[in-house]
Amino acid sequence: MDALARELKRGSAELMILALLDERERHGYDLARLIGERSQGAISFHVASLYPTLYRMEEKSLIEGRWVEKAGQRRRRYYRVTAAGRKALKSHRSVWENFFEGLHRVAGIKHA
Amino acid sequence: MRNWRAEISAALAKAGHDPDHDVLEELAQHAQAVYDAARADGASPADAATAVERQVAVWAGDAGALERRRRRIAPALPPPAASSSWIAGLAQDVRYSARLFRRQASFSLLVVGTMAAGIAATTLLFSVTYGVLMKPLPWPDADRLVRLKETRGGNPPRFNSFSNAAYLAWQTEPTSIDTIAAWSPRMFTLTGAGDPERIRAIAATASLFTALGARPIIGTVFDVQDETPQGSVVVLSEGLWRQRFGADPAALGRLVQLDGQLYRIIGVLPDAAGYPDRETRVWVPLRVAPTTGNFLSMFEAVARLRPGVTAAQAAAEGTARGLAAPAAPDMEMVVRAIFGEGGAIQVSATPLRDALTAEVRRPLLVLLAAVGLLFAAATANVASLQLARATTRGREMAIRSALGAGGARVTRQLLIENLFLGLAGGVTGLAAAALLHRVLPAVLPPDFPRLAHLALDLPVAVFALAISIASGIAFGLLPARRARRLNLVESLSEDGMASVGAGRRSRTAQARALIMAGQVAIACVLLIGASLLGRSFLALLSADRGFDPSNVLTARLQLPRFAYSDERRAELVEALTARLRAVPGVQAVTYTDGPPLGIYGGTAFMLDSRQVQAASHTISPGYFAAMGIRIVDGRDFTDEDVATSRPVFIVNRAFARRYLSAEPVGQRVRGWVRKGRGHWEVIGVVDDVRHRGMTEPPELEVYLYREGGVRRVSAAPTFIVRTSGDPVALAPTLRALVRQQDASVVVDSVSTMEDRVMTSLARPRLYAILLGGFAGFAVMIAAVGLLGTLSYTVAQRSRELAVRAALGARPADLIRLVITQGLGVSAVGVAVGLAAGLLMGRAIATLLYDVRPSDALTFALVPVALLLVTIVASFVPALRASRIDPLRVLRTG
Repeated sequence: MDALARELKRGSAELMILALLDERERHGYDLARLIGERSQGAISFHVASLYPTLYRMEEKSLIEGRWVEKAGQRRRRYYRVTAAGRKALKSHRSVWENFFEGLHRVAGIKHA
Repeated sequence: MRNWRAEISAALAKAGHDPDHDVLEELAQHAQAVYDAARADGASPADAATAVERQVAVWAGDAGALERRRRRIAPALPPPAASSSWIAGLAQDVRYSARLFRRQASFSLLVVGTMAAGIAATTLLFSVTYGVLMKPLPWPDADRLVRLKETRGGNPPRFNSFSNAAYLAWQTEPTSIDTIAAWSPRMFTLTGAGDPERIRAIAATASLFTALGARPIIGTVFDVQDETPQGSVVVLSEGLWRQRFGADPAALGRLVQLDGQLYRIIGVLPDAAGYPDRETRVWVPLRVAPTTGNFLSMFEAVARLRPGVTAAQAAAEGTARGLAAPAAPDMEMVVRAIFGEGGAIQVSATPLRDALTAEVRRPLLVLLAAVGLLFAAATANVASLQLARATTRGREMAIRSALGAGGARVTRQLLIENLFLGLAGGVTGLAAAALLHRVLPAVLPPDFPRLAHLALDLPVAVFALAISIASGIAFGLLPARRARRLNLVESLSEDGMASVGAGRRSRTAQARALIMAGQVAIACVLLIGASLLGRSFLALLSADRGFDPSNVLTARLQLPRFAYSDERRAELVEALTARLRAVPGVQAVTYTDGPPLGIYGGTAFMLDSRQVQAASHTISPGYFAAMGIRIVDGRDFTDEDVATSRPVFIVNRAFARRYLSAEPVGQRVRGWVRKGRGHWEVIGVVDDVRHRGMTEPPELEVYLYREGGVRRVSAAPTFIVRTSGDPVALAPTLRALVRQQDASVVVDSVSTMEDRVMTSLARPRLYAILLGGFAGFAVMIAAVGLLGTLSYTVAQRSRELAVRAALGARPADLIRLVITQGLGVSAVGVAVGLAAGLLMGRAIATLLYDVRPSDALTFALVPVALLLVTIVASFVPALRASRIDPLRVLRTG
């Protein structure tokens, strides 16, 4: 995979995670499941790279994780978006929108 | 259920990686979810497990990416549990505590600040109590020194405490005592060797130095031969010797003038052994006059007990000796004049230290107890903070336990942390106390006993360190006990996710509520005490003393005692009176030998065929008007009375009620002790003046005018000047006039009558202010504690509050809920505090004037005030509770 593709993939992964966490707090499995479900399998987000991505984002303070235990359940690590994350999400979104806008004009690719 | 975590760990280890346990836990959680999802989709257990294994293999393939950079576990990494030795572990704990201190600076400063304030106040009061009540007196075997007092028919003398009759009867070959000594305070004007100066002096028998065991630095002390009526030798204090003679040993043998008399310096006494206190500058010989005729002289007396003899045994001997001594035939009248009663000599003996400090013992002990309570409240506040923090630190403690730290190890760690905080508070507090110590002499009334003995010495420092260690252990033990029975489920259930009602029931919350109630109770007790003392002080301030202290300036003059004749003194005061009357703004000028709240003598005489006694004041005409003393019947003296030496006098109401008929004016009495024979007529009755405190019954008093024929004027008359404006403004004019009139007259003390009243109230004022300050501090601690405790429970109960909000509770309902909880805790504290307040009232009952120990107003207002404080302190957490967003809180579950 060349560098651009890797960048694209990384950027899109962050965007998806931020967008999903912006709705509510979620744990890792939930994120993996939702990305698979919502893209209807088109983006099979590789579980191997999910956690490294989460940890990297946490290090960049875009998200933060905390352990939560519910009665009768195993404790789970939940993630939520930080203020910095919300800002990043906004800028990601506009970048992607511009990108799709450009693709649409040039190549007739539409985005939803 | 399979142990995915172990399998993942093994798989990653095989790939050469060892991610931290949080990562493993998270992946295990993911693995379980994959397994569950596969099973839910209908896969067999074996197929589901295969799906998981595939997942694990993928992770192991890129295990490097899973090496999460370790995040700091707040507040710091725990020290390794397995220490090679106990000492090494201890050093580690101390280092860790210091690191923690720096890490959590604001929390640590809060704790240290609270402790420092508490320890400073407690240490300061302890040092006063210790220095005044407990520290041994500065003489060898001082516990064998006793103060002697004489009574007749149960009455103490009007002035001083022991008579020459009792002294002489006991002086020769006593069996229970080694030595008896007499002494009497004097004021002298010291001249020669520098500027004239008023100094405090003690006239004492030579035996005083023997009794005390006091040794001079240089020279010698008196001998019995020095005890002459006009003694000619003097012993200097170390302070005066340094100040006037530059500590020159050649001062011995030199002459100084005291009130114009020449005295030869024979010795210097060290300041530490100064009797009765360090303020005394010189000692001159006192001769105890023989009891010839009807002469009774009064002074103070001390004795040194023989080893093994009790004070009571000595007193019994003194009384027996008095009984055995032949009484002079004409003595009865004098005894009545001085004691107000006749009868045989009765001697009592009190250990000298107790006698010096009797009046301040109870207030000091009450204040010490109060400051102790305050300190307990401050410590409890810290304990409460630590408890709350222990909850948030539950994770850290759990990790330590998991890493193998035993319960004892965790307890030790917590104790050392808190000892560290306690000691930091102690050292800061001690430093603050040392600073406050410097202002003590300015704050305490000048007549406070043993002021010079107050010092921040070793016992006080040991006390401060002891209480800081004790408090450190106290507020360290609670969280430590908690840590020992820590389990993960409980520690995690005490956060916002706790199920409904769990927060309120948690042990931490209960302990904090209990602490809270205790703090409110302490605030309540101290407020009650402060309110009682405060109301008592206000009552004293506004009490009717029988005179009007406003706009009156008083000035005591010291006329040369020996150099001026009676006539010259009389001319001097008359001339001064005339000049003062001419000053603008002066309404009245008069003088007396015994102003209100001052010192005065007594007299006894025949009334019909009865012997009577009374306090006597010699005044000049216009005294009552100037002093604002009401004339209730008859008239004041006139200049004509004085000029013609008319035999008239004025009595006070108490005297008239006790001795005279319903129509006192015009009644005649016969036979003055002091003034020869003849009939004297009562021309007026004036209101009672309270000289000796409002709680004492009014004295029987007679007022005499300055005798025209003899023209006797006291050597220390007090001028009374009533002004139309601020009397203080007149003081410089008065001093200037005196200087112009006669430069050899010393103006001894110039003060307004209101100042004199305030001075006489210095102690009640000090006690009220101190207890008021403690109470204010205690209320503050209680309010802050309440705020903290309620905020904590609101956070704990956030889920419950959210459920309530979701079920339709309005913000006002939630506010009410929290405030009700606060009020509940406070009400328990107030109830306990009121009960303890009754005890407090009883403890200070003897200090109260015109206020009952169970004063209804106090006991009604203090609870109301505390409940108001509770509502205010509850409001912030209550508001937070009302703003809980049910959606947010419940969704995170």
